[in-house]
Amino acid sequence: MGRRASSRPAPARVDPVAHAIVVDGVTETFRLYQERPSGLKERLYRFRRSTYTDFDALQDVSFTVGYGESIAVIGHNGSGKSTLLKLLARILPPDQGSVRTNGRVASLLELGAGFHGELSGRENIYLNGAILGMSRAQIDERFDAIVDFAGIRPLLDTAVRTYSSGLYVRLGFAIAVTVDPDILLVDEVLAVGDAEFQDRSLERMRRFRDDGKTIVLVSHDLAAVRDLCDRAIVLDRGRVAFDGPVSEGVELYRQRVATAHVPAGPRWSGSRRVAIEQVLLLGADGQPVAEAPPSTPLTLRVRLRASEFVEVCSLGMTVTRGDGTHLYELHTTWQGVAVGPLAVGQEATVDVRFSAHLLAGHYSIATSVTDVNGRETWAVVADAVRFAIEPAPGGAGLVDLAASTSVVEGPARRLGDPGFTGPIPLPRLQRRRDAAP
Amino acid sequence: MVVAPRHGVVLAPRAGSTGRVGRVNATNFEPSTGGLLGRGPLGKLGELWRARELLSQLVAKELKVRYKSSSLGFLWSMLTPALMTVVFTIVFTRVVPIRIPDFAAFFLAGYLLWQFLQNSCQGAIHSIVGNGDLVKKVYFPREVLPLSHVLAQLIHLLLALLVVSPYLIVTRGVDVLLYLPVTLLTVALLTVFVAGVAMWFAGVNVVFRDLQELFVVIFLVWFYATPVLYPLALVRAQLGADALLVRALALNPMTWFVEAFRTPLYGAVRETGAAADAGLALVTSSGPALPSATVLAVCLGWALLTFLGGYTVFLRRARTFAKEV
Repeated sequence: MGRRASSRPAPARVDPVAHAIVVDGVTETFRLYQERPSGLKERLYRFRRSTYTDFDALQDVSFTVGYGESIAVIGHNGSGKSTLLKLLARILPPDQGSVRTNGRVASLLELGAGFHGELSGRENIYLNGAILGMSRAQIDERFDAIVDFAGIRPLLDTAVRTYSSGLYVRLGFAIAVTVDPDILLVDEVLAVGDAEFQDRSLERMRRFRDDGKTIVLVSHDLAAVRDLCDRAIVLDRGRVAFDGPVSEGVELYRQRVATAHVPAGPRWSGSRRVAIEQVLLLGADGQPVAEAPPSTPLTLRVRLRASEFVEVCSLGMTVTRGDGTHLYELHTTWQGVAVGPLAVGQEATVDVRFSAHLLAGHYSIATSVTDVNGRETWAVVADAVRFAIEPAPGGAGLVDLAASTSVVEGPARRLGDPGFTGPIPLPRLQRRRDAAP
Repeated sequence: MVVAPRHGVVLAPRAGSTGRVGRVNATNFEPSTGGLLGRGPLGKLGELWRARELLSQLVAKELKVRYKSSSLGFLWSMLTPALMTVVFTIVFTRVVPIRIPDFAAFFLAGYLLWQFLQNSCQGAIHSIVGNGDLVKKVYFPREVLPLSHVLAQLIHLLLALLVVSPYLIVTRGVDVLLYLPVTLLTVALLTVFVAGVAMWFAGVNVVFRDLQELFVVIFLVWFYATPVLYPLALVRAQLGADALLVRALALNPMTWFVEAFRTPLYGAVRETGAAADAGLALVTSSGPALPSATVLAVCLGWALLTFLGGYTVFLRRARTFAKEV
């Protein structure tokens, strides 16, 4: 509880015990020292050198999580995800606002954090269990389950410093999940270990979810996020940018990633020299479309307006699948085409004609205007248009490879329509794929 | 587990619930929001009690890790006091004589106590900073970290007493055994005192890292300001009971603990009344005896005061350990 938390009135709009987690107006401030004044000399001089800046890792964050809900917290590095989890785990008290959790909280923030290398696996199980709040009797009861889950039985009496890092993490996970919490906090720990272990830990988390436990998951593994969670909270520089269904949250985050720049990509330039006025996706008939069959010719029409004089610029588009998978990117300059010069207020319209060789799914196009070298971004619209590709027979997967089949030797049969003479369509696998986890 | 009202485990029925949410055998640590004794069942002390399993595991770790790969094991921890006793006995019986019967027994009876304090604090001062990973990643009552060092050292002290007791019995008489309950009472009071000092060092060192550099100096001065090497009665005999130095020594809580601890193990040291320049012994000692009620009362006072003070400072610091470690 924050210093100021106790004086704050309880939130009137939410009944505090009706939710597993109630986060109300939380701000968490870190003091970033240029040179940490933790020594004597610095203390003596501190009155004249205040070499720190306050940084709000979280700003006025509020949300509630219902019992049995599983939510994902996603966002860029430094967006405050881990700080939020630490607040929920009570490792940090909020500087402002309040955090309330109803139920036992177990946090998988770092696996094996309390291990001591000199102690054996057996001893560490007891030590780590005790750190997580289990009594000796409870650990005794779950000891075999832990050992089997981690698969360390032959190494039980060996010092853990000799364990491989994968083994170390497995043991940490095995102990952490036996705490049997009501609320499970998970921070990126699924990213470790081999594929088999990841599967098992995901499976374990699913079981938690199906048992009606509340899960808060911080992860960059968007597939796991979509798999495990119903709801996503997207954090952006310490604020809640989105709170809603997981698919939308993941999509939003993906677009933020696509537009908010990996270091190698174009840098955001403060001056918005160009404005993207309108983005349309047109079908073959020139009418805007939201849904199209696979491999239809489509046109992306972008209207720009220069806010200041632009000598030359390039229009870019990025096509992503709903889950954020980057499918295609194109800048007009790559094809030797650029826009400009544009006088202030002058408009230009660019058409990008393409065939969406895609199969059924939801897709999104982001557009941007950059300088011709792609170093500076002058305008960007994430999620400028969304479109869906209709399910159609003829193939399954992501990309429409426009395959045709024929039996070149041996007897062949046409299925279905006896009058059909074209290539025989493959049976639709879509249903099977949808059923798969 | 008894549940603090603000972070209670809630018995909330819920559609599709397996009924497990409502279970009240919660094992995870629930931070108390109040002070030492405020809010919740006994506040922080209640939380500490619920963490006793963790505390015992940490103490076991402390002891195991220390002796795991050494062949002499516990005997190592006896080596320092043994060598110190030899050195100081030679110096203070041959070179600069302090005329007191059985100097080695006299010294040991104080030095073991001193070692308990110093080693506890030395372990505790690094306990938060050194376990940064843990502190940043898992919630548990942070005070178990310094306290585990204190308890591990307590075990050392008790074992060491066991080892030296034959020597004390031989030199000072079987009364040592008779007064064993008083010795243990003194040790208990001292443990409370040391816990307070250790938590203060652990908590303050997180924000004031110079403390670990100052540590050696602080404890060196403190050591000589405590009548471990010399009997308090000798100072009184030489300077007079009202001398500034004698009064200053009385302000040092360790003076009282050493006196209280030494009396049942070694005996009371008192002035002989001989003149300083007569070449006679200024002090003499009786056999093991009961420490006076005053001494024990002062020890109790210091123990409670230091524990509450140290714990309060520690808890105030502990709020932001995860940010500062």
